[in-house]
Amino acid sequence: MKHNNMLAMILAGGRGSRLHELTNKVAKPAVSYGGKYRIVDFPLSNCANSGIDVVGVLTQYESILLNSYVAAGRRWGLDAKESGVYVLPPREKADTNLDVYRGTADAISQNIDFIDTYDPEYVLVLSGDHIYKMNYAKMLEEHKAHNADATIAVIQVPMKEASRFGIMNTNEEGQIIEFEEKPEKPKSNLASMGIYIFNWKLLRKMLIADMKDTDSSHDFGKDIIPTLLNDGKYLYAYKFKGYWKDVGTIDSLWEANMDLLDANNELDLGDPTWKIYTEDVTALPQYIGPDADITRAFITQGCMVDGEVKNSVLFTGARVNPGAKVIDSVLMPGVEVEEGAVITRALVADGVKIGKDAVVGSADSEHIELVSKRVKGVE
Amino acid sequence: MAKAFGIVNFAGNHVRVEGLQSYRPVAAVSFLGRYRVVDFPISNMSNSGIDHIQVYVRRKPRSLNDHLGTGRHYNINSKRGRLHTLFSMTGNEQDLYNNDIAAFYDNMECIESEDFPYVVITPSYMIYCQDYTDLIETHIESGADITMLYHTVDNAKSAFINCNVLNLNKQKGVLDMEPNRGTAKTRNISMDTYIMKKELFIELIHKAKKTSSSYTLADIINMECGELDIRGVSHRGYFAAISDFGSYYNANISLIDFKTARSLFSKDWPIYTRTNDSAPTHYFESADVKNSVISNGSSIEGTVEHSVMGRGCQIEEGAVVKNCVVLSGVKIGKGVHVENMVIDRNAKLIHTPEIIADPGHPGYIKRGDTL
Repeated sequence: MKHNNMLAMILAGGRGSRLHELTNKVAKPAVSYGGKYRIVDFPLSNCANSGIDVVGVLTQYESILLNSYVAAGRRWGLDAKESGVYVLPPREKADTNLDVYRGTADAISQNIDFIDTYDPEYVLVLSGDHIYKMNYAKMLEEHKAHNADATIAVIQVPMKEASRFGIMNTNEEGQIIEFEEKPEKPKSNLASMGIYIFNWKLLRKMLIADMKDTDSSHDFGKDIIPTLLNDGKYLYAYKFKGYWKDVGTIDSLWEANMDLLDANNELDLGDPTWKIYTEDVTALPQYIGPDADITRAFITQGCMVDGEVKNSVLFTGARVNPGAKVIDSVLMPGVEVEEGAVITRALVADGVKIGKDAVVGSADSEHIELVSKRVKGVE
Repeated sequence: MAKAFGIVNFAGNHVRVEGLQSYRPVAAVSFLGRYRVVDFPISNMSNSGIDHIQVYVRRKPRSLNDHLGTGRHYNINSKRGRLHTLFSMTGNEQDLYNNDIAAFYDNMECIESEDFPYVVITPSYMIYCQDYTDLIETHIESGADITMLYHTVDNAKSAFINCNVLNLNKQKGVLDMEPNRGTAKTRNISMDTYIMKKELFIELIHKAKKTSSSYTLADIINMECGELDIRGVSHRGYFAAISDFGSYYNANISLIDFKTARSLFSKDWPIYTRTNDSAPTHYFESADVKNSVISNGSSIEGTVEHSVMGRGCQIEEGAVVKNCVVLSGVKIGKGVHVENMVIDRNAKLIHTPEIIADPGHPGYIKRGDTL
C-alpha cells in the first residue's frame, strides 16, 4: 500500500456459462490458458508487476478451486508484510443477512469494510477473466495528472464490432462525455475494458447510495458509471494499446491460445520485464520422443510428445503417444492422446483421455469442438 | 517427522567436472535442463520428512546460494524446517586442507544444536532417489553404528573412476573402502551416503581432525571399519555420479531415454527445483525436435536431436543441435551446426558454422562465450 496508495479488487465471481462444461466445476477466472496459466494469473501478475500490494478477489460461482488458488499470494509475490491476496466470497455480517453479490458494484459494496481497513486513496476495480498485460501504475499516473474522479481503461476495437461493447465517447482531452452500452450506432470505437480507478472516498459514497437504490442493478457499467456522468464528474478514458482478450466462448478461448503461436504475438509471454506468474508445478521437463513431429506449437513442462503436433497448444502434463495426431487443437492439463488417435480443431478439457485410433473434431467444422468426456478408443 | 537431520556434503577432491566447475560447485551445476544436481539430495530429504537440512559449500558459493534461496521451493515447513547453507569458515584455499571434516569442525556448533538423534549425510554430486524413512528404521533395527548406501555397477572399469568402492563381507558388513581405479568390471560403488547417530558423527569429526589434517569423512570411516559395525545397503533405481566431465555428459544424455528416466523419476517422489516463471516453449513452423528433453522458455526454429536443453534457449532457423547438453540461456544462431558438446549458460554460437566434437569425447563451450 505504501508506494501508490491503491488497492485492487478483482471481480471473479462469474460463471462464464458460454464455456459450457469447462466451467461446470470452476469459475471462469480459474480456467486454464496458454499451456501453464490460469486466466486470473493475468490480472494478479499485472497487479504484482504494477507495485500493487493488496488485492481482494471477489468470488462467488464454484469457487473452491479459485479460492484456494488465489489465496496462495506468494505465487505472484504478493506475500510481503502489508501485502496479500484476500479471497472475498459473500458473507454474513452482524447487521445484514448472507446475501449473494447482486452485481459487480454490489460485490465491492459488500466489502467496504475490507477496503476501509487499508484506507486507500484509490481503488482499482478489475475483471478476473481477461487476458492482457497492463501497467496499472501508468494508468494511475494519468488518473492523477487529469485530476479525474474516475478513470476507465479503453481499447480501440474495429468499428464494426463496436456495438458488442460498452463504448466511451470522449472529448479531445480524453474526458468521457457519454457512455453507451452496446450501442446500435456507435459514435466511437473506444471500448471499456472493465478496468476502473476510483477515488475511494467518492466511490464509497456512491456505493452506499447504490445499495439503498431499489431500482439499481448494482452494476458498474449500468449504474455507477452513468450516475457519475450524470453528476458531472470527471471521467477520464485511459487508452490502452496491446493484446486484450475476453475469452467468453470456446471459440474465443481456442483462438486466444492459437494467438500464442504467431511469431510476434502481441501478448509476448516471454518478456522478462513483465512476467506472468502462476502456480509452480513439480513436473519433468518436456519429453520429446524419437517419433515426434512438432511444428507451430506451444508446449510446457510435464508434456510428453511422441506423435504429431501441429498448430496446437499443450498444457502441463499433456501426452501425445506415438502415431497420434493433434492438429489445430488445445490440450488442457493432463490430457492423454493414445496411439493413432486424431484430434483436429478441438479443445480437450482437463484430464480427458482420447482412446486409441479415436477421431475427434474435424478440419472444416464451423466451431471448435469441446471434448470434456473420455473418448473411447476404436477396438 | 524424521528422526534425523540432513547434511548435503560438498564434493571432494576426486570430483572434477572440467569447465563447468570453474564457475560453480558441482552441486549447482544444471542437470537435465531444469534441475541442479543439488535438487536431488535435497528433494530426497524433503520427501523423507527431513526438514532440517545443512548444505555445505566449499567455494564459489554465488550460484548455489542463488539457487537455494530460502529453500522454500523444496517443500519443507517454512517455520519448523530449515535449509541452512554453511561455509568453511577458515576459508583455506588449499584443497588438501579445505576438506569436509574441516568444514564440519568449523560449523560444530550448528551440528551440535540440531535436536535430532540421527544424521543422514549425502553427497551433492550424485543423482539418485532414495526414501530415507525406511533406511533410518533399518539402521536403527540393525543396531549398526553406520549404515552406508552402495550401488552395484558392472561398468566400473570405465565409469565411477575415483569413486569409493565398498568391499563387503557376506553379511553386507563393510570391510573397507578403496578408490575405484578401474581394475574390475563389477563393483559396489559407495554412494557417499551415511546414516549414524549424531554423537558418533561428532566423535568421528574430532577423531579425524586429530588423526590427519587432510582426512575426509570417507577416510575416517574407512579407518574405523575394523572397530565399528558398518553395514551396506544396496540401492536400486537410477544412479549416476557426476565426478568428471564425461560422467556429467553421459548422465544427462542417458535420461533422454524415457524408460531410463522412469527409473529415476516417479509421481510420488517429486524432485523440486527453483523455478523461473518462464513461459512454455515455442516450437516454430521450421522446428524439428526429436528424442530430446526440453525445458520451458525456449524458442525453437531449428533442429534438435538427442539433446538436453535448458530454460530460455533460442535455436534459430537452420541450426542443428545433436547429442548436446545445452544449459539455459544459450543461443544457437542461423545455420550453426553443433554436435557432441556441452554448452554452458548464456553462450552464443553464431559465427562459427560448425562446432563438432568426436562422439565419445564431448567438447565444452564456456559460459557466456560467443563463437
